[in-house]
Formats: sequence, C-alpha cells, structure tokens
Amino acid sequence: MNANAFKAKDYKSDVTPIWCPGCGDYHVLMSITKAMADLNRDPKDMAVISGIGCSSRIPAYTNCYGFHGVHGRSLALASGLKVSRPDLTVLVMSGDGDGYSIGGNHFLHACRRNIDMTYIVMDNRVYGMTKGQPSPTTEPDWDSALSPGGTGLSPFQPLVIALASGANFVAREFSGDIKNTTKTIVEAVNHPGFSFVEILSPCVTFRPDERAWKGAVHRASVDETDDPARAARRILTDDGLNTGILYRGKRAPYQAHVKDEAGDAGILDARFKV
Amino acid sequence: MEQPRVGTDIQFAICGSAGDGTIAAGDIMKRAAALMGFKVIAFDIYPPEIRGFGKCISRIRISDAQTYSLKRHSDVLISLNDAHAIPHVGEVRDFGAVLFEDNSIAELPEGGHISAHIRAAQVPYGFGIREISEKATGLARSRNIAALGYAAGLFNMPPGIFHQIIAEKFAKKPRAVTEDNTRAFDAGVEAAARVFKLDDVSVGRPLSAASGADAVMMTGNGAIARGFLEAGIQAYFGYPITPASSIMERMAAALPREGGRFLQTEDEISAIAATLGAGYAGARAATATSGPGLALMTEMMGLGVMAEVPFVVAVSQRGGPSTGLPTKTEQSDLNLAVYGGSGDAQRIVLAPTNVEGCYRCAGMAFEIAETYQTPVVLLVDLYLSNRFETVIPPRKNIFAPKPRKTPKMGKGEEYQRFRLTESGVSPRSIPGEAGLTHTVTGLEHDEIGHPSDRLHNEMNAKRHHKLLPATHFPGLTTQKRFGDSGKVDVGLLGWGSTFGEILETLYTAQGQDIRVAVMKVVMLSPLPVDEIAAFMDDCTHVLVPELNFEGQFANMISGATGRPVTRLTQTTGAPMLVDDILAELHRLIDSPAPPPTSSHRTAEGVRA
Ligand SMILES: Cc1ncc(C[n+]2csc(CCOP(=O)(O)OP(=O)(O)O)c2C)c(N)n1
Ligand code: SF4
Ligand SMILES: [Mg+2]
Repeated sequence: MNANAFKAKDYKSDVTPIWCPGCGDYHVLMSITKAMADLNRDPKDMAVISGIGCSSRIPAYTNCYGFHGVHGRSLALASGLKVSRPDLTVLVMSGDGDGYSIGGNHFLHACRRNIDMTYIVMDNRVYGMTKGQPSPTTEPDWDSALSPGGTGLSPFQPLVIALASGANFVAREFSGDIKNTTKTIVEAVNHPGFSFVEILSPCVTFRPDERAWKGAVHRASVDETDDPARAARRILTDDGLNTGILYRGKRAPYQAHVKDEAGDAGILDARFKV
Repeated sequence: MEQPRVGTDIQFAICGSAGDGTIAAGDIMKRAAALMGFKVIAFDIYPPEIRGFGKCISRIRISDAQTYSLKRHSDVLISLNDAHAIPHVGEVRDFGAVLFEDNSIAELPEGGHISAHIRAAQVPYGFGIREISEKATGLARSRNIAALGYAAGLFNMPPGIFHQIIAEKFAKKPRAVTEDNTRAFDAGVEAAARVFKLDDVSVGRPLSAASGADAVMMTGNGAIARGFLEAGIQAYFGYPITPASSIMERMAAALPREGGRFLQTEDEISAIAATLGAGYAGARAATATSGPGLALMTEMMGLGVMAEVPFVVAVSQRGGPSTGLPTKTEQSDLNLAVYGGSGDAQRIVLAPTNVEGCYRCAGMAFEIAETYQTPVVLLVDLYLSNRFETVIPPRKNIFAPKPRKTPKMGKGEEYQRFRLTESGVSPRSIPGEAGLTHTVTGLEHDEIGHPSDRLHNEMNAKRHHKLLPATHFPGLTTQKRFGDSGKVDVGLLGWGSTFGEILETLYTAQGQDIRVAVMKVVMLSPLPVDEIAAFMDDCTHVLVPELNFEGQFANMISGATGRPVTRLTQTTGAPMLVDDILAELHRLIDSPAPPPTSSHRTAEGVRA
C-alpha cells in the first residue's frame, strides 16, 4: 500500500539515457527514483548534483532540479548548495573516477564536514566514459589494453576512507539488487549528516567480467553498527562484495553557526569607525 | 616634486622594527586625522615573515582635498628604529622633519646614527623618546605613542581626539594600558611644545566642514566585505591566501550574525564550486582569492558561464607567477581574470580604483551577476586591498537586494532554462520553484538544457551578447574621463590601484603647460570599447601605466580598438611613482606622434 502523493515515474524525466544497454546505471536510476517516491518529497524540492562520467549523467534523467557540473567537483558544489538551502533534499551522484580520483580530496572533507546530504557513487572500477582506463578502485591485476599487466596498485577503499574521515552513514549495495538499494538510499537520506552509499554498478562494455557480480555479491553476515571501532574491524575483513549498511553514526550534522546578536553590516566597521 | 596644495596635505612615515608599535602608532594617527575631518590615505608595509624584527613602515597622507595616492616624498619621518629608518631619510622632502631618538652618537658605530644621514635642508628633531616613555609610564614600551605625541604636538593636532582614539584602541586591554599610553602621548606633546616649530605645516583643523563622524576608515578589503554585506550576501566560501584573507576573516565574523553561511573549504576549487552551488540555489554567494587561487578556479568560472549561474569572485592580486611575491603588489592577473579557463568564456570583470570603488563595486556585483546570470570578478590588488582611505558611505543601504521574480509560464508551455531571447538573458528558476525543474550542464546544450552541439554557435553568441549592456549598467561608473577636454597631447588610460597615481600625475601635470587627460576603466570585461576608442582618438599619445611586465591592459585595449599605445610597466612589487609616470609623459610629448598604423610599441619604461 502506498499512500504517497508521488510515484517513481514522477521523478523520471523523458530524456533517454546515453548508457549502453545492460549498464548497471539504469538500475541505479530506478532505485533512486523509487527511493524518492518512498521519501515522498516533491521533485521541485530535491536537487541531484553530479560531476562528469557515464554515471554522472543521471541528474538529467530525473525530474528534480539537476546540476551536471564538472569532473570531480560535485560534492563541493553540493555543499554550497545545501548549506545555503537547507530546505532542499540533496543527492550527489558520482562515479569511481569522478568521486575517488579527481574528486578524492572533496570526498574526505565532505565526510569530515558532515553536511546533511547523500552521496551515491556508482562504482564500476573503470573509467567508462573515457573508454576503459583503470580507476582508483580497479583491481591491481586487471589486465587490459590500457593497463597492460594490471596497475599493480592497491585499490582505493571507499568505505574504509569514508569511515575514517567521519561519514555518518556508510553502506554498499549492488545496482542489480533494486529492492535493497532503494531501501538503503531511503535510510541514507533520512539519516542526518553525510551519508555515503557505494553502489557496485557494472560497466558491461569495458568490464564485462563485472556481469559476474550478480552471483558474487552477498548480504553482509554482520549487522550494522553505530560503533566506528566495530565497523572498522568488519571492513578490514571485507571482500569488497559484502552489501548492506555498515555504519550508522551519531555525529551531529553540520549546523550553521549562528550568533544570537542581531546586527548589520555596520558591526564590522564599528571598530574602524572614527 | 609634488607642490604642496592649498590647505593641509601632509604625509607622515613611521618606520620601526616589528614589535616597536609602528603600525599601531600609524593606526592611531590615521584614525585621529579622519576623525578630525581630513581625507586620509594610508598604507602599511610589513616584513613578509611572521616573526622576527623586520622593517615596518606606516605611511599616512592627510589632506583637505581628496587625494588618490601616497606622495613620493613624505613630509615627516618618525624613526622608531634608526637602522630601518636610515634608508628612508631620503624620502623626506626639503624642509621636511625627521624625528628620531636622541641617542648619544658615541654609543653607535660610525654612520649608524640617523643624524648623519639627514640633509642640511631637512629639519632634525632628536629627542629622548625612550626617556619620555619611561618617565611617563615607567617602561619603554610606549615609545611609539610618545613619538606620536611629539609629532602631534609639533603639528598642532588636537590631543583630545588622540585620547579618544587611544582609549578606543586599547578598550579591550586593562585600563592601565590606556592610561599609560595617554600619559606617554601627553608627555610627547609637552616635549614638542618646547621646541622650534615649522610654521608652514600645521594640521590643526581641516578646511572643509566635512564631518569626521560620518567618515569610515576602510581598507579595500574591508570595503569589499562591507559592500557584500550591504548587498545581503547569504553565503561565503573561501580558502586562506594573502592578500585576500581579510575578506574571509570579516565574512567569518559577520555572516553568522547576518543569518548567512560561511565555510572555510578544503581548497579554492571547492570554494568556488560551493559558491557556484549556492548561486545556483538562488543565494547571493561569493568567494575571494589571489592569483594562485584564481588559477585553480578557472574551470569553475567556465562552468558558471556555461550554466549561467550568478556569483561573485573577489581577486586581490599579488606578484606572480606561481607563489610569486605573496606580500607585494602587482596587476598581473588581468589576463587570467578576463580570459582564464577553457573555451570562449566571457564574464564580467570589475576593477575598482580606490577604496570607495571597492565598496560600490562589491555592493553592486550581485545585482550585476543576477541581471546577466554570470560570474562577476572583482579585481583588486594588494595595494588597494590593504590601504586605508576615508569613505563616507551613504546613510541608507543602496545595495539591498530586490525580491526575486519567478518566471511565469503560459499554459502548456515548456520551461526552457536557456531560451534564446532578444537580450540573451533567459528566464532563470531556482530549486523549489514549481513547474520549472530542469537540469543544467557544463556540456553545450539546447534551450531546455539538454546536452546538444546543435546550437553551440547560437549559445556562444547568447552568452557573449547578453553581457554587452553591462558597460552601461545603471548606477555603475564603468569608465570615466578626467582632465582637459577635446584634443590632448597625452592621454593616460588606467585601471585598478594604479589609477590613483595616474590621477595624481594629471593634477601635477595640469600646473604645467601641456594638455593632458586621463581615463579610468573600471569594467575590464566586457570593455566599454566605444568610450575608450573615442578617448584615444582625442590623444596624440596614449600612455598605459600598469603593474605587470607585458602591459596586459595595454594589449587588451590596443587589441580592442586597433589603436597604438605606449606601455609603462613595472614589476618591482611597489606601486608606481607619480614622478615616473610624469617623466614618461614628458618623454612622449617630446616624441613624434606614433603612426596610426603601428599596433604596438614596446615599453621604454620597463625597469628590472
Ligand atoms: C577536468 C577533466 N578531466 C578529464 C575529463 C575526462 N573524463 C570524463 S569522464 C572521466 C572519467 C569518468 O570515470 P567515472 O567517474 O568512473 O565514471 P564512469 O564513466 O565510469 O561512470 C574522465 C577522466 C574531464 N571531463 N574533465
Ligand atoms: S561505458 Fe560502461 S559505464 Fe558507460 S554507459 Fe557503457 S556500460 Fe555504462
Ligand atoms: Mg567508473
């Protein structure tokens, strides 16, 4: 039974996605629009912000206020938007290249700052849009024309880093599991502060091997925790394919610091007033 | 050398070592003069290092008439540290005064005593600065204030006003600090009462009745912050950098009180990104930086142009390239401010020429940004950011925002965020407005905002043409001519802080038998080309003095008008000198007019 005024289709625009058939991002689009309907917020009061990449094309496929910005800066842009318009529900949508490589520093500081918004990264462990280069999450032995013999580099650990940097909600989902992904996004949006959801979203074109994720992902056997130490221990034994909510923290979200004193522009100059 | 004007026009230079209270003494002097009703321009120079005993100089020009720059020659030098002050004795004019500690010569190495460097035409005032302070307060700490009192006494400045400023300055300290300093000041005044006085300089009372109570002493950065606040700024994002940080410091202090938002971000990229995000969401948002930060911001500047988002970026230039000269002034980020970024990304760039201009441009910047839906850069430099001037702000806030109008849609009409209109300005909606949701993108797009190459040419034209009327924005001086009208021998074109020296050059030259005019250009993008070209047509020679190596503004205007210009450039880290501009002006008058076909002439006046 759904008493909500909005349905998932109300959040979908009529723009046809540019994605390849079978791309995991279609499922993410379904999950976020379903989650929006469950959240029952008017599309006009939601802002969907992204950077650049296949995944970052998603805002235009929604009916919300969307901003498809430049590569890697979505969190920075969204932070300014959210602090000046706390009335809006803000979803920030990114990819593993956009969010963990060029935008890596903004990720750390967004976690620290704990502004009330939801960060969703569609991780396909490759640069899809630029045709298949290795990304920060690519496995060290992924052998391809563009990374002959593999990069040999240890992959970026998004959940560990989010936890260590102070994110208030940390989860991983698989795009093909629309039911759980939708539920987790709703939880993430409803949780105060900075919520991070990493979604394993296969790039069928440059990482056909990721089609196997469907059978390989599994729900985490351990429950979510509000204890960062327990979450950290769990994440250290993570195989990268565990899904579910890992951590739901209790840090107070960013609050605009407002002084009680009434004042005007003259206050500052009072000390220069002669 | 400058001719003393009618009435008061006196420049004090106070020189000491960090820790001597040099800047504090200068601060009291400039505030007292402003309170008396004088016009004041002041500029302090600190050592670049935070600790240590580097040289500090505070220069304060006090006058009846509005002035536009410091004078090359000070009338009075107060030495609180002879080793630092000796190189500045030469800047004191003939019959000017040098005040110094009357040490016994025997205590110092030969040539180490300042009196050995004072010219016969200068008037030495050696006195026991330390002794006065110790007698009055028991400590030598108030030497700076004792010397200030002596100077005030020498030039008949009313002690009561100094008492008031001293009390204000030390209001947060224990009462004894105010009392000690007041005693030290009075003891200085008393000591000066016993000495011979120059009867041609007295700073007793200003000629005009301008009320000192309405005057506000502001730095350029303070004026920018004040303009932002009066314009109702709602969000400020910044990353620390000299010489822009003082804007951020004021925002951090003021914005919470104003109900606004302030964040210190992780870098300049996020500062401008957040500013853009806030601007997109409908807030009046700004950031401020210097050249190195602006270099990082250029990609977002392009996004602001492409997505047509209003926001404001204040840029205070310092010496470059790279980390450059963090504590020295320069005007070498003009190209970056006007052209920086990928593609054809025209934006609005305003360069105020004095502190009041900083206040006005900052106050109007948001309205301009919103009118044309584009980023606005406010381009100043360290010399303008940090110098003090007296400004009398209007009593009523003239920059308050007007209520936003939500675009109205006809029945069944599809909202087009980037509709191609006659003016190039499209109806802009902000998040929360019903029936107008849309996605903007940094990709080229069609009228709805969907990614598409189809209208690239039309959209480029739209983004370009919509800005052109800004050169006549109501209430904003985008350019202005001064001096002789009609045909002139030499016309000087200037921008930014250097315009102060250009205007002083004009007033100096006007006493001589030559025809001179000057034009200040405040809007550097889009350029008010017609007015500039008309001005250049009136000039046999056009001289463009500016603080960069290549003559970036000269390149810009000769490119825009196709007319020849002569460059006068300087990158010494210091402001230009009126005498140097004047010398170049005379050199030009003696040279033949440049053939109208030549496009560029290289600088004669470039100094290493
Ligand atoms: C400043 C800048 N550098 C490089 C690019 C080129 N570029 C576009 S998308 C992309 C990588 C995207 O990877 P990811 O975020 O993983 O997105 P995906 O396409 O895999 O969804 C790059 C490098 C760009 N657009 N801008
Ligand atoms: S290239 Fe990969 S990520 Fe991009 S649309 Fe195709 S499948 Fe999706
Ligand atoms: Mg990717």
